Parts: sequence; C-alpha cells; structure tokens
Amino acid sequence: MSSVVSDMQGARSAHMKVKRMLPPVVRGLLWALIGFLIVNTLVSEVFDRMPYHPYVTRPSVTLGWVAAVIGWLLGVGAWEGFMKPYFGGTADWVVPNDWRKYFMYSIDHKVIGMQYIFSSLGGFLIAGFAAMLMRLELMKDHMWIFNNPGAYLSTVGIHGTVMMFSVGTVALIGGFGNYIVPLMIGANSTAYPRMSGISQWLVPAGIATVVLSPILGQWTTGWRGYEPLAGQDPAGIVFYYLGVFALTTSSLMVSINLTATILFKRAPGLTWNRIPMYAWGMLTVSLLNLIWLPEIQMTFLMGLLSAIIPLPYFSQLGSPLTYMEMFWLFGHPEVYIIVVPAFALWQELLPVMGQKSLFARQWGIIGLVFVMILSGLVWAHHMFTNMRNSQMLPFSFFTEMISIPTGFSFLVAIGTMWKSNLRLNTPTLFILMSLFNFLIGGVTGVLLADPVVNLQAHDTFFVIAHFHYTIIGGMVFSWFAAFYYWLPKFSGRMYNEFWGKIGAIWVFIGFNGVFFQLFLLGLKGMNRWVPVYPSYLQPMNFEISLFGFLLGLGFVFNFLHIAWMWHKGPVVGNNPWHSKTLEWQTSSPPANTNFDPIPQVIGSFYDYSDSKLAVATPYSDKKS
Amino acid sequence: MGDILAFTISWIVVSVLGEMGVHALFQKGLYYYTATTQAVDGEAAFAFILTILTPVFAFIVVMIIYSMIRFRARDQEIRPSRKQFYNNKAFVSIWITISIVLNLMFFVHPTASAVEQMFNSERARYNSHDLIVNVTARQWQWFFNYPQYNIAQAQDSNGNSILYLPANRTVKFVLRSYDPMHTYDPYIGVVHGFWIPAFGLKQDVIPGETRYLYVHTTKITSFEVNPMVRVQCTEVCGPGHPFMEAPVHIVSSSDFLKFVKQQQQLQAQQS
Repeated sequence: MSSVVSDMQGARSAHMKVKRMLPPVVRGLLWALIGFLIVNTLVSEVFDRMPYHPYVTRPSVTLGWVAAVIGWLLGVGAWEGFMKPYFGGTADWVVPNDWRKYFMYSIDHKVIGMQYIFSSLGGFLIAGFAAMLMRLELMKDHMWIFNNPGAYLSTVGIHGTVMMFSVGTVALIGGFGNYIVPLMIGANSTAYPRMSGISQWLVPAGIATVVLSPILGQWTTGWRGYEPLAGQDPAGIVFYYLGVFALTTSSLMVSINLTATILFKRAPGLTWNRIPMYAWGMLTVSLLNLIWLPEIQMTFLMGLLSAIIPLPYFSQLGSPLTYMEMFWLFGHPEVYIIVVPAFALWQELLPVMGQKSLFARQWGIIGLVFVMILSGLVWAHHMFTNMRNSQMLPFSFFTEMISIPTGFSFLVAIGTMWKSNLRLNTPTLFILMSLFNFLIGGVTGVLLADPVVNLQAHDTFFVIAHFHYTIIGGMVFSWFAAFYYWLPKFSGRMYNEFWGKIGAIWVFIGFNGVFFQLFLLGLKGMNRWVPVYPSYLQPMNFEISLFGFLLGLGFVFNFLHIAWMWHKGPVVGNNPWHSKTLEWQTSSPPANTNFDPIPQVIGSFYDYSDSKLAVATPYSDKKS
Repeated sequence: MGDILAFTISWIVVSVLGEMGVHALFQKGLYYYTATTQAVDGEAAFAFILTILTPVFAFIVVMIIYSMIRFRARDQEIRPSRKQFYNNKAFVSIWITISIVLNLMFFVHPTASAVEQMFNSERARYNSHDLIVNVTARQWQWFFNYPQYNIAQAQDSNGNSILYLPANRTVKFVLRSYDPMHTYDPYIGVVHGFWIPAFGLKQDVIPGETRYLYVHTTKITSFEVNPMVRVQCTEVCGPGHPFMEAPVHIVSSSDFLKFVKQQQQLQAQQS
C-alpha cells in the first residue's frame, strides 16, 4: 500500500503538467447531479413510465440516489484514487499538501480521520440545531414553532438519525479511530487505505440525505423508522432509509479497516498483551459493527422495499412486530457501539493523566469483550410493552447482567485514579464527568431493565433522559476529552486550561440541568414524540428548555475554543502529557510518514513506575 | 491506610445522606400519583432498586470526588505517581462478587417477584366478575366498549370517548388496533401504546393481535382531580399522536351503574 502512497505524493514532481480540474467537492456535486438526473429520468420517464406521473417517483428517486452517491464518490476523487489504479491505470493525481487535501479523496489515515471528525462535527451541529428547535417548541404546551405535528416529528427523526448514525457511531470510531489507531499501534497506514478514503465521503452524503428528507415529504416515525407506521408515511421515509444506508455502510467499511489494521499492522513487539486500551475499544466496537450493521441494513432494505415496490412485509398483512424485533436486535448493540469507545477512552486517559499504571487491565479488556458479547442478548428489553409476559424474564436477566462487564470499566478507572498523581486538567475533568454521567445512565438502566418499572417508564421522557445520560453523558463527554487530549497531536498546539475548564463545567451544568429533570418529567406522565402535551407539564418543560439552550451554547463554546486554539494556541512539544503510548512517540502533528523507522515495542505502555519508554527505536526528530 | 479509612467514612456518610434523600422521595411518591395496585407494585420495585443502588452510586461518586481532591497533582511538574500497582486481587474479587450477587438478587427480587406479583395477583380475583373493557385504538382516537353492559362506545355528550371504571375492581382491558370506520384498509393499523400514567403500566396495541392488560383500581379519582388519570398513546402513531388521549374517571360502583344506564340511554337515542 505504501507504494501507492508514494506514487500519489510523488505525482507532484513526476507529473508537473497535470490538467486543471474543478475542486473535487464541486466536481463530486456536479457528478452527483448528473448521475441523479440521468438515472431518475431513465426510471421515471422510460422504464417505469405511468400516465400523469410525477417526474420524481419513489423508485426513480431511490435509483437516482444510488447513481448520485456513486457520482459523488467518484467526483471527489475515487475515480482517480480508486477506480483507475484498480484497473491498472496510474494515479496521475495531485494531492496538495495544504487545507485542500481535506476536501478530496485521500488515502492517508490522518487526513481521513480528520475528515471524519469534521463530518461528524457537522452532523452534531445540524442535529443539535434540530434539538434546539424541539426544545423551543416544547417551551409551550401547544404548537407555536412548528405549524403541524408532522414537522415536529420529522425534526425529531432527523435529530435522532443524524446523531446516532453520523455522530454516535462515527465520531470516536471513524474520526479518532482512523487518526489515532494506526499511530497507536505503530503503523504507517491502515490496512485498506483506499477503501477507507471512500467510506469517509459516504458520511456527508448520508447526512445530507437525511437532512433533506423533508423535500420528499414528512416522516413521522422518529429515528427508529417504525413500521407499520412508516408504511403510511409520505416519501420522506425513503430518504431516511437511504441516508442511514449510506451512513451504516461507511461505519461498516471503517470497522473492516480498523479490525484488519489492529490485527495485522501492529509494530513488532506489540503483542496482544500490549495493545493499547483505545485500540482494544476500537477492535471490540468494530466487531460489534461487523455483526450488527449488516443486520440493520437488511432491515432497512426491507423497509425500503415496502415503501417503493410496495411489499407488505411489516403491514398488518405481514408482521408488524418483526420490524421492531429486527430493529432492536441492532438497536441495543448500537448503544454499546457508542459507549464502548468511551469506556476505552477512560482507560486510555486516566493512566496518562495520573502518571500511574493502569489498574486491572485484563478486567478492563474482559469488560469490553463481554459487553460486546452480551449486547446482542438484551434487545427485547425495549419491547417489554409488546411481548408476552413469559418472555420478559430472560431478557431482563441479561440486561441486568450486562451491568457487570460495564462495571469493570469503572473498576479500572477508579483503581487507576486511586493514589495517582492526577492532573486535574480539561481532559481529566471531562473523563470524570463522563464517569459520573454514565453512572446515572447505568443506575437508571437497572431500573429500566426491571419489567414492572419499565412498563411505566417505557416511551416516556424517563427513557429519553436515560439514554441521553449514556450517550451524551458517556460518549459525548468522552469525545470532548478526546478532542482536548489529542489537540496537541493534531495541531502541535495546546488549548487554554482556564477556558477549557470553563467549557467543561458549562456543559456539565447544562447537561445535568436538562436531563436530570427529564427523569422526573417522564414519571409525571410526559410521553415521547409530542409537540403538544397537558398544560401541567409546561413549567418544567420551560425550565428544561432554558437549560437546553445553555447546553447547546456550551457545546458551541467548546468547539470555538478548540478551533481557536488549533490555530493560535501556544506551541507545545511532541509529548505534552508525558504519555507512553506510541502516538506520542512521533512528531506532533505527525509527518506524512508516521514512523521512520517503525518502532520496536519492548514494554507496557501503561507502566509509569519509571520514565523509560516502551519502545526500543523511538522516533527521533531530525530537525532538533 | 489513612486514605482508605477517610474514604470509607465519607462513603458511609454520603450513603446515609443519600438513603435519607431517597426515602424522602419515596414518601412524596416516586410515581407522583398512583391509582392501581399495579402502580404501587411498580413503585415498590423502583424504590427497592434505588435503595440498594444508593450506596453503590455513592461509592463511585465519592471515589471520583475523593481522588479528584486527594490525589490531584499539586504542582505543574509532571512526575510518575509514587504508588504504582497493577492489580489488587482482594479489591477486584470483592467488586466482582458484589456485582454478581447484586445482579442475581435484583433478578430474583424485584424483577421476577414483581413480575409474578403484577401479573398473577389477579389470579385470586379470577371469576370474580372482572370488568371487561374492549379498547380499540385507531389513528387517532380511543374507543371504549363495555361488552358486559352492551355499551358499544362510551362517549360524553360531545361524542368524545370517555373511560369510566369502578373503584376497587379488577379491570381486563382487551386491546386491539384497527380502524372500525375503515376496516377495508389493511394498511391503516399501526402500533399504539395504551397508557394511563396513574395506573403504572402500559401495553402496546399491535395491529392484527389482541393483547390484554389487567389492573386493579384502588381509589376514586378522575382526570379533573389529577391529569395523570388519562389514557395516553405512548407509541408514535403519526401526526395525531399527541392528541390521542381520553379522560378517565374512576367512580364508586353506584356511580358506575349510573354511567352505564346513561350510556345505554344515549346509545338507544342514537340508534
């Protein structure tokens, strides 16, 4: 693979006279438009022509979308970077070594990681804006922002879908995973860099598809696309299925790539016993993705076929509950797909920040692996309200049992903190907040695993509070910790400790102000998916909305701080945290080639009893 | 040793304070308003789990805060912690044992026991003239039908669906999802959720299936007394979902008979 890398980078000198072309992103949009117009026209006007038909029909828009995505991928550079070399052509293509490389197809895992980080950040801001609109609507007990409930429900659906499939499953895996994991295991590239370059560009396509779904019509099912209701929805649901398909395909490709990278591209001496915790987290989460993403893709394809052909899989003539079973069979592992990287981050950061050996490392790994295994056995606790009473107990049992391996992450974290020399800086603060928030999510999870409590709390704001505690509280807080922790790696610059802490405390207060009250609101009788609710719930909702806006501003504040410090922060050395893991044993930011030579690992990365490095041939900065 | 002692004392203090707080909450009512034995059962299970988990919660939170204060780096210089250990077999063994024991206990009680109680406590009352209420969910309306009293659709004078139940009776809800006005359209049935917040449980209503839900009412109350005494759809069922609610009245048996008579008269007038 490295030969292709050098091919493409050497291209600048070898082919100085390269023909000028449009910027790749613009060309991608153009090719997407052309692809859509051609295929949509062929389908709706030629192959599937009906009298008095509209130009855009469900089948035509589906096939047109497929053509548009292919055009988009080829246009941003997959044509030169993937297709032509695949068929034996030369990669006569310039990769400029400036900001433009982030706006085109790339095979450098660092560029891809950065592109993923920005794609998921874009998704987070869009979906967060949708959340702000929802909270604004809920400030009053009647419709006042949206003019009909369907618009509100579409917003809920866009918020949930984009958050889940382009942030939750992507930010820490596609983003930080792609960037950090090869550095961490001492590799110069991932296992399948060309596929990885394609997978990234599916994310903006998927987000755009979901966000633009109201063009085809409202859809009222929320992020779960519940059949049989989806069968009645206007055509917007088609773009829900297609957008999610693009996003899950992207995650699937990332997972294949990361699994192969961790298995086969480790530096010499990096044995299974020495794999860093974050890489362990990426490996378990990738296996989870490989098991469950194809399952949900198949489900959504069946939903799509029901919508465009139509086939009555999930209507009253088919089997309405089958959709739910299949959805949650994926839907619960999805929660762990989101938080397992967060667990791994706790275990990655705390030893560094405390300059103390990782406590009970083997139990941390056992915890990650058992969470991965058990997560597929618990799905039906989302369905206590629509299953036979006799089915409840086994699912309740497994759901309660999953708290044991989850607890191991806490065991490792607090064991590492005990008697450490803990630096209370912004990443540490975010990790500790993440521990605290996820603990609340876990405790309420035990409550929800209990069928009789679940029968009351299910489908209320209690559940919303619970999963936001696990997902925002667990994953998003860890995501911020990762941003602050690896900022010196990305940019060679340090954030401002004072403003970082302000940002952390700000979102912590906003977050708990919103979601703790949602528990009480749920128990008071607030059900989900309602823009209109009984007036006795209005004062509490009003207050929650105010905290919600505080939280939204807090997130924006943190991003602005990070962005500012990325460019203007004080320059720091290669290893400001005195970490022993490999990603800090190269220059910050890393050069095009991560390691030269490839390091030889001779010890544990988490042994802080002395200051000896764990590598025999450490990177040496030739400039200094 | 000093740290362990200081931590243990703070943990015990916080746990005791936590238990006091949690019990104050129980006194106020975790479910805010309960009108059936099932709601009381659920509330008890909720309270039991919270009581047991409070010290566990306190352990982690105190651990985080204690480490944050006691073990923080006191100067800018970065140096390895003086204490380095990779494992503590005693601590890990206790941790794992307690988490397994706690989970097994939760599974036995309250999970299995409360499920047993919630669904089997009605066995004793079998054949003691349960009130049967047929509930039909359509987009977006509830219909209540009392087959024992020949009431096809309970409604107020404006034609809105209303649910009247006698107090201290076991009620068997028979739940179906279809549209009685458009029975020819097989695509119109969607999943709804039948929930009365004050009753402490809910059941999804699934097209093509018939589901049952048993409750035993405990007090005379109504939507006017507490807005939680309402039928509310909880599973998203289209744009009309938030409006899919109906007021509930739980009345004495004599008032219930009055309601029956009134509904029968209303029905006679309409036919």
